[in-house]
Amino acid sequence: MTPVLTVEGVTAGYGRVTVLHDISLEAGRFGNVGLFGPNGHGKTTLLRAISGLLKPKSGSIRFDGQDIAGLSARAIVGTGLIHVPQGNRLFPDLSIADCMALGAYSARARPHEAENREKVIKLFPKLAQRWRQRVRTLSGGERQMVSIGTALMSHPRLLILDEPTLGLAPKIKDELCASVMDISRGGVPLIVVEQDIEFLLELTQQLYLVNHGAVATEIKPGESLDHGEIMSMYFGH
Amino acid sequence: MSALAEILFGGLFQGSLYAMMAVGLALVWTTIGVFNFSHGVFMMLGAYIAWQLVEIGLPAAVAFPVAVVVMAGVGWILQASVVRPLIGRPNIVLVVVITTLAAGSLIENGALTIWGPRSKQIPALIDGNTTIGGVGVSLHQIAIIVITPLILAALWVFLNRTRLGLALRAVAQNEDASHLVGLNVTALYGLAFAIAASLAGLAGIFMGGYRFMSPVMGSDPLLKALIVVVFGGISSISGPIFAAYLIGFFEAACSYYFGLYWTPALLFGVLILTLMVRPEGIFASRSRGLA
Ligand SMILES: Nc1ncnc2c1ncn2[C@@H]1O[C@H](COP(=O)(O)OP(=O)(O)O)[C@@H](O)[C@H]1O
Ligand SMILES: [Mg+2]
Repeated sequence: MTPVLTVEGVTAGYGRVTVLHDISLEAGRFGNVGLFGPNGHGKTTLLRAISGLLKPKSGSIRFDGQDIAGLSARAIVGTGLIHVPQGNRLFPDLSIADCMALGAYSARARPHEAENREKVIKLFPKLAQRWRQRVRTLSGGERQMVSIGTALMSHPRLLILDEPTLGLAPKIKDELCASVMDISRGGVPLIVVEQDIEFLLELTQQLYLVNHGAVATEIKPGESLDHGEIMSMYFGH
Repeated sequence: MSALAEILFGGLFQGSLYAMMAVGLALVWTTIGVFNFSHGVFMMLGAYIAWQLVEIGLPAAVAFPVAVVVMAGVGWILQASVVRPLIGRPNIVLVVVITTLAAGSLIENGALTIWGPRSKQIPALIDGNTTIGGVGVSLHQIAIIVITPLILAALWVFLNRTRLGLALRAVAQNEDASHLVGLNVTALYGLAFAIAASLAGLAGIFMGGYRFMSPVMGSDPLLKALIVVVFGGISSISGPIFAAYLIGFFEAACSYYFGLYWTPALLFGVLILTLMVRPEGIFASRSRGLA
């Protein structure tokens, strides 16, 4: 299979600080991709560069053959590459209904609004009960559901999740994992950043260890590792 | 009876003008997170453009709407030239105070050069006078009292019942998340400024219909609008609307009982007390958002 997303030699950062140093990776060749690594090493920055929130200083990012590096976030949403940011801050004073309507804002997603809303409600029935409630009044798990639901409303062709289980209780994590698995089975490839390695091993087929703004190790399917080995890579030998 | 009628009428009238001004200031603050110090100049410019259009022979019914639309364009251009380039800077709030003050002063002096210092007046919305509850009032003022709530209600419907309004409320809350659902954040910022400038321009037209206009006619209303938004809370647009009318009534009552001379002092006294007790404003929630 050809990769859906190819990142090649991307350098990016904030102001004069360079966070990503010539990073390269591919996604979609072997299924879902997981990114892991210590905090503050550029995973979020990489996702921001991919989704257009941050302009890379150099390098290329190809999504389905099209070079998207340097495009506006809006144009990238228009290609179907959808990014669920870290920390589910969302729109605190909007209702779930409003968030779903915003998810379907792009011209590409609008025709599928009703059908995607059905999907979201099926996937997260809890949201239907709180449809008119403001996001700030929801629990962390529910907010994460709204984040992911909003992304599904955007009719994704590739879904990028940044630490979806951050701060969630183990039981909620498992539920979320099952839901995300459902999305993947529905035919949407994933790129997931996670600290929870079990979550990644469950959901993804290919892993990248990101360290100091570059890929330190790539783990392809078949080279499956156990938890212990990954933890030792994580913390150095 | 006539005291009550006078206070009620004066409060509704002043409150209407303050609300028109304050709501635009609040709209820009909630969406972009900056204070627009050229807002008073928008008011002046709206009045002068309307005056000019009437002067070249257009009927008021055409001139006024055209002036309001032109003001939308002015707001958009001002935003694109002195606000948008600064977005993303950590000190944007202070820098924009300076750039909008500078742009405002430029426009004010431009108006002085073009139209001169002589006071001007534009036609009233409706000519004539009447008496209500023993108080003589002009039909122009009554028209303002009636039209303003309708316009504010229309703005509410736009913000709360349309997709574009939803998008404006969204950028007010989270810019990154707005980008990630594909909103055109830059255009929405322009739109917020355009709406604010239109409302200010309309307030200018209202004012120019009963009082003489001058190039500095916007500075006092700007000050009042600032007081209104600080008093009502800058984090929403309903807060400033209520505050505008409250301050209108307060001023009307003060000037009736204590005279015009004492009104500003009393107003600032109340403002300072309010800020000591509730620093976020009396009607404010603690978050930024349009509601
Ligand atoms: N908005 C920002 N401005 C400046 N530096 C930032 C910003 N966001 C992140 N950084 C820095 O970039 C580096 C990488 O952060 P990030 O990409 O969030 O890492 P990760 O997601 O892997 O934890 C960190 O050193 C962080 O301090
Ligand atoms: Mg991160």
